[in-house]
Amino acid sequence: MTENTADTAPDLDRLRAGAPPRNHDARTIAALTANPGCARRGVLDAAGVDKDAVARHLGFGTPFGQSQFALARGNAFEAQVKADGCAELLTLLRDRLGLAVAEVFYDDLAVEDGESREARHARTRRLLARALDSAEGTLFDHPMLRLDIAGHPAYLEPDVIAFQLGGRFHVVEIKSFAVVDGQAEPEQVAAAARQAAVYVLALRRLVAELGHDPARVAHEIFLVCPEDFSNRPSATPVDVRPQLAVLERQLARLTRVRDILADLPPDLSFALDEGLGDAVRAVGARYAPECVSGCEMAYFCRDEARACGATGVLGRGVRDDLGGVDTVGAALALARGTAEPPAELAETAALLRTAARLRREALGGAA
Amino acid sequence: MSPDLPPAGVEALRTAVRRAVAAGDRTDARRLRAELRAAERARDAAAPPPEHVPRVPLRERVHRVLALIGVPAAPKLVGAVHHAFLDGPGLSVPRPADLRRAEERAFRSAPDARPYYVCAALTADALTPARGLLALSTWPPETRMIGPRSARTDFLTAAVRVAEHAARLGPDRAERLLRRFAANIPGAAAGGVGTVDAAALAEAARAELAVHAAADARDRARAARRAAARLDAAGLLFGARPAPDRTHGVAR
Amino acid sequence: MSVLSALARLEAVDAGRARPLATVRHCHLADAPLLMVPLRLAGEAAAPLAVLLGTDRADPALLVVPQPRNRDLRFAFAAELAKVVLEHVEASRGAAEPLGPGRDGEERVRYTGAPQILVPNGGGAAFLRLLGRSTRFRRTEGPHAVEAAVPALGRWLTWFAERRDRPGSSLLLALTDALRLHWATGQSALEDANLAALLGWIDPPAGLDGPAAAARAEDPLRCPPAGPATDPTFDNEVLAPAIAAWDASGGDPRAEARLRAALESQLVPTWDAAWHAVDLLRALPPGASVADRWERDRDAFTLFHAGFAEGVPQARRDSAVAAARRLHRLERAQEEYDARRAFDDPLVMAEYRLTGQAFAGTVAESDPTRLDESGKRPKLRPRVRIATPDPVRLEPGATVCSADRPALKGRIVESGAGDVLVELTGGLGRKLVPEPGAVPAEGDRVCFTSVVPGSFGPARFPESADTPWTHGGPPAEYVPTDSDAAEEWS
Repeated sequence: MTENTADTAPDLDRLRAGAPPRNHDARTIAALTANPGCARRGVLDAAGVDKDAVARHLGFGTPFGQSQFALARGNAFEAQVKADGCAELLTLLRDRLGLAVAEVFYDDLAVEDGESREARHARTRRLLARALDSAEGTLFDHPMLRLDIAGHPAYLEPDVIAFQLGGRFHVVEIKSFAVVDGQAEPEQVAAAARQAAVYVLALRRLVAELGHDPARVAHEIFLVCPEDFSNRPSATPVDVRPQLAVLERQLARLTRVRDILADLPPDLSFALDEGLGDAVRAVGARYAPECVSGCEMAYFCRDEARACGATGVLGRGVRDDLGGVDTVGAALALARGTAEPPAELAETAALLRTAARLRREALGGAA
Repeated sequence: MSPDLPPAGVEALRTAVRRAVAAGDRTDARRLRAELRAAERARDAAAPPPEHVPRVPLRERVHRVLALIGVPAAPKLVGAVHHAFLDGPGLSVPRPADLRRAEERAFRSAPDARPYYVCAALTADALTPARGLLALSTWPPETRMIGPRSARTDFLTAAVRVAEHAARLGPDRAERLLRRFAANIPGAAAGGVGTVDAAALAEAARAELAVHAAADARDRARAARRAAARLDAAGLLFGARPAPDRTHGVAR
Repeated sequence: MSVLSALARLEAVDAGRARPLATVRHCHLADAPLLMVPLRLAGEAAAPLAVLLGTDRADPALLVVPQPRNRDLRFAFAAELAKVVLEHVEASRGAAEPLGPGRDGEERVRYTGAPQILVPNGGGAAFLRLLGRSTRFRRTEGPHAVEAAVPALGRWLTWFAERRDRPGSSLLLALTDALRLHWATGQSALEDANLAALLGWIDPPAGLDGPAAAARAEDPLRCPPAGPATDPTFDNEVLAPAIAAWDASGGDPRAEARLRAALESQLVPTWDAAWHAVDLLRALPPGASVADRWERDRDAFTLFHAGFAEGVPQARRDSAVAAARRLHRLERAQEEYDARRAFDDPLVMAEYRLTGQAFAGTVAESDPTRLDESGKRPKLRPRVRIATPDPVRLEPGATVCSADRPALKGRIVESGAGDVLVELTGGLGRKLVPEPGAVPAEGDRVCFTSVVPGSFGPARFPESADTPWTHGGPPAEYVPTDSDAAEEWS
């Protein structure tokens, strides 16, 4: 992976036109795994371009933002579970996993504000190295982890806890959405699993760097959420292997972004000036409606896709039903029989023509 | 439906604030928010809310609580104990780092001029201030060292002290606090649903404490010796200075 | 998704307006449904913030929790909400019509009406389910006691939510779902979840086309979200200061009025949009089987209502047998619902014609008096040859029935390009000559399909008490506990 870095890094820096690369966190890294086929997103993310600023400059800012009520609730629940050396979490692990009473080690790897991230990362390394050698230590709070994103180290300041049990580490992620009668909202669980996978991966890389088997970091994480409508925490094991696989594939892909760069104009840059729109359009996007929930560029890409009549704006299902016909105009021409289909689309065209006839008949010729 | 619709100016400003926030324009949002608050104040022009003046200074209240529980504690526990045993409503303790910074300034300008300082607990491995904890300068140094087991032993020690204090005073106001301790200490919730027996709680906490106490004391004593050898007087109370952040939020 | 509905979306893009997916209405609309627009406090599972509700569009009631973190205020809200919902239940039931004795000899009745609840979207329905879950186990005496109406509300909301899982039930309708059943827009399903955007495509305001109206609906400042989630900038800039002001004022009525006005401003646009949706749906003629399905809803309502007084709150989780039985019932209801809709609506039947499970065409030859004399006794077996351009995928021997008259049954004899020979086997009368008009004549338009309403087999499951040990053994009857009552609900 590192050999690519040397080649692509200068190109990527040029793409940002001198702006510093944007900071990644687990959420933004997890978001990288959405829509892996999108070259535009791949290039912008690999270069660490501030997509939010780009989208705003182009007039398509996304109204992302969180309610202070949601933030407050999340912080309060986490503080409660972690209070007094994770007293509630210990109780939960004792009840749920039979954790021995003597296992009460709690190391807060975050120290005070103002300490550098390198220093904090060094402390995390030191304490985890000791824990790996001695198998001593139970809860490691706020580990400062590092993950290379397209050759740039990104520091992760997880609020998660690395929990050691029998020589194996588990990531414990605390989330404030409720698990009611054993069920939580699937999207929220999926998002939590994607983020936890980022921590598992970063922790595995660290364990490997320290000369240990990365498998000492379990692929099973513990999701700690409020139970039912109370503030009582509950722990649910979640297997994040699928999320890990996607994440590793996508991170490897980001480092190979030079294949995409090779096809782009050599002087391309995403400086926030009047050339920005053309620069962004020079890299092909693969817009899908799901982009709106995870990518700052989504409204720009949607507008572009709509303007050129892409069937993808109607959803992947519709696109699949249309047998891969890319534009609304082409599909309608096939349906109305005003265009001769190429051989590979003959079947799709026949189906569309029948569908059009059936709709016409049922609607009394109105369609 | 509402007899008291706000004047259009307030509504227009409120929409403008949301517009600016949605557009990511922080400067505009801040300016408009200030205008909005001014407009709201002008509208309300009623009596201002009464100023709350605590009779006892905050540091003194924190001192009383810490002296009662005898171990380093987080603001939340300090507040809860204050509410349970000392007069007045819940104590809203500022961020420990802020409170300690003020104490450190006082200490450095006139060392040992005060009978006590609200100071830091130190991490045993790095001797830096342990995050989110408050301690007292009058305690022996090893009490202020935080080893890997100390969070637990301090929690259990606090449980014993609070339970004993509650047993003396009658547990009425401490009920909530005792329940929280009892829920997280094995064998402590011996009483029926809803009530906690303070004596049973203290006994259960002591039982678990016995498991960790010797090893914890060893870790703390060792850290205290290292601290005495490496740190000056201020450092002993407020911790070794952490290395400053050179990266300014930019990954390189 | 299907090619047919995909095509409808393309047509909608082309026209700049939604295109129909149905020619009749497939859901029931009560004369006086209870519309509820609920809002939830962000970050909480089921902490209600406000609800605008009522059966009269000109006179909605606004219920508000001025401080959603206050347990007492939440239960006071739940009690007020319960009053409205329980009144609606009683007001909707109508008279009990006698149905005659059942198999066990007991007299059976069915109410002539049933309560219907409408919510703007699926999120609103999910919120009512959680609200039901969070209130139905509450105790009315002892510690944490609440008003008796609160657990009753919980049981009713839970019942509504469970009925909504049943395909074709109209007791609790999410309006976005109902609209999407009848119209295709030129945007994605994800964007259709926004009621105002969906309406913008179906019936844009004067001077706007679908895309422009939908774009306007996506601006939370012009068009507040239809809930239960609120817009974050509303939370941060309007709601939080208003709640703080109410707190600081010690419950001053002026502060409360302001809070209510703020919440009302977020709810009224959705209230209007929801009634707009109701108008659009009402304008469609009801499908032939809608009344049957509503009758099943009335059956379920009558049963639940009759057992309510003696009943206990629904269990937190189904037992294994109950879960399997329920799944079976739902699958069966889905099949029947899909089939019945096809018989009601040629545009739905077109889906089956496109996949080859149905075909329509003109009768080219008809032999109405043909007899099959291969057996001991001759049987009336008329044959019709139908010319059809449809892509038929029915093998010889497949049983079919007529879409217009399902009693007319037959089987495929041969099926070639553009032409199908059907032998009729039922729905002809009892004699050796068919009833007049029973057999389609030459030149008639006909449609035959292999889809049969109610073709699903009957359920065979062990009684609850005989649950196999592999499925946890017989379930204990669910009894609400102290901890249920003590849940903090936040």
